[in-house]
Parts: sequence; C-alpha cells; structure tokens
Amino acid sequence: MFDEQLAWYLAGPALGLCVVACRLLFNGRLGVTGGFSEVITKLSRRSLDLDWRGWFVIGVLLGGTLFLLLSGGPTFHDYGWLTRTFDGFGGGVAIVAILFAAGILIGYGAKLSGGCTSGNGLSGVAMLSPAALVATATFFATAIAVSFLIEALI
Amino acid sequence: MRTRLAALAVGVVFGLVLCWSRMADPDVIRSALLLEQSYLYLFFASAVLVAALGGELVRRQRRRALLAEAPVGWSRQRPQRRHLVGGLVFGIGWAVADACPGPIATQLGQAIPWALATMAGVVLGIVLFQRGETGETEPALDLVASVERSASEIHPSLVGSSSDAPA
Repeated sequence: MFDEQLAWYLAGPALGLCVVACRLLFNGRLGVTGGFSEVITKLSRRSLDLDWRGWFVIGVLLGGTLFLLLSGGPTFHDYGWLTRTFDGFGGGVAIVAILFAAGILIGYGAKLSGGCTSGNGLSGVAMLSPAALVATATFFATAIAVSFLIEALI
Repeated sequence: MRTRLAALAVGVVFGLVLCWSRMADPDVIRSALLLEQSYLYLFFASAVLVAALGGELVRRQRRRALLAEAPVGWSRQRPQRRHLVGGLVFGIGWAVADACPGPIATQLGQAIPWALATMAGVVLGIVLFQRGETGETEPALDLVASVERSASEIHPSLVGSSSDAPA
C-alpha cells in the first residue's frame, strides 16, 4: 500500500483538509516554517512551552517516522541530482555543503516572504492573500527556471 | 494539552501524506520542476482548492475556533517587495535541494542523513532572519482585519509584521 505513490486526487485533498483543520481548531495558518521558527525561538529561550505551530511541526517529522515504519524503509537513498553529479571521492562533502547552503536560502527566503510551500503556497493561496499569491508564483517560477539551469549546466 | 495533541495529530497526517505522495523524494520534486510530471501540480491545486473551500466553510459556520480563544477569520495581505525577494531566494534553495521545509522535516523523520545538512541550513537561515527582524511574519493566530486594526491601535506589537506596514 505504501510502496506506491498515493493518487494525487487523494493526497491533495488530504493535505487541504490539514489546512482546514488548523483553521477550525486554532484559527491558524498551517505552515511548516512557522513551526520551525516557533521551535527555534522557544529553544533559544531554553523553553519547551511550544504553541500549536511547534507541535504541528514535530508531528510532521513523526509523520515521516510513521511512514518509515509502515513502508519498511525510506523511498530513496541517494540524493537526486546531487548524488549523480558529485559521485565519488569527496562527493559527499560537496553534497553536504550544497544542501547546507540551499537550506540557508530556503529558511531565510521563507521567513522573508512570510511562508514556505505550505504557509504561503498552500494556506496563503487558499486564503486568497495577494501577498501569498505573489510569493508562490515567484518561488514556483524561480524553482522551475533554476531546475532547467542546473539541467543545462550538469 | 488538547491543543498540543491536536496539532501533533494534524502534523502526523500532513507528514505521512507528504511521504506517501513522494514529496519527500528529491527526484520526484526535480522531475516536477523540470515539468516532466504533472503529479505535483495536480496534487498542489487540489490541496489549495479543498483548503480554500473548507476554510470558507469554517469561516461561515463558526465564530470561534475550537481550541483557541480566537474568532475565525483572516486578513489578506498586500504584496510587498519582501514577498517577491523572499520567493526568489526560497525558489533557488528549493530547486537546488529539491526539498522544501515540510519534506525536509519528514526526511529527518525517515532518518535520511542528508536531511541533517539541509535542516542545519534552514535553521541558520531562520536565525539570520530573526536577528535582523523584530516582527513575526507567520503568527500563530491570524487576526481578523478589523481586530487587527484595533489591536494595532492598542499596541503595535500585537500584530507584528502581519499588518501592511513595512517590515
């Protein structure tokens, strides 16, 4: 059951219902980066008194663990184009450095634009927020352009 | 306690669906961004549609959230320069790592070691932003437009940067 990709017409609405649940339960905007921020802020104050966003993001991580247990193993081992491009001796160091740098851009960019793929892309667009629409259109267009650029370079 | 358990449960479902739909797999994201597969776009569009219709239904049917002393509703933000610049920076990182924050969290949950590097970067990126800013761009509670206005009259810190004032 878990060894096949869940059909989009089931997976998409299930994700959408998670957004609705956060609205109904907390009047909150579901967003993973908001959850990360909450955990980081509280931990920096040596506190574990997380609000709903922090517990939500811990749940997302545990959802990955639950999937691992149900499916019997991760769905991938090598890391996509990075492994194919930086194969061989010292390649692992390059991949770690690139992923770390990409992570900085992801974290900073998400905070600057007020959300990531979930906060802006999913929840913000569903709220018809013009700011979220601009951010989402920008990161989708940028990610598509950069992917083609990487494809042309490697 | 009920709030924590409810938030945890919604998160588990969210993370499980992300993995089951293979959104945690960098090669799946990459082929979507190279426009080779339509799955991600259909998945995303159907999620947004359900979230929009469900959200509107909740707003019409309920005056208060179930587990928060907050009225149900939200204000719509006008786009500012930071939404464009932030989207650009985020988009570059997303295309290079082929993972965004949700899938990165589920990769960590799946004990995929590469995710430690990406997550360390995300944490640094968030901390760098927090050092330079004072307002919260993703508040825990969405304040309704009218509430937001009156709240900002009482004290500007109540609304952070979720108002249309420059960050």
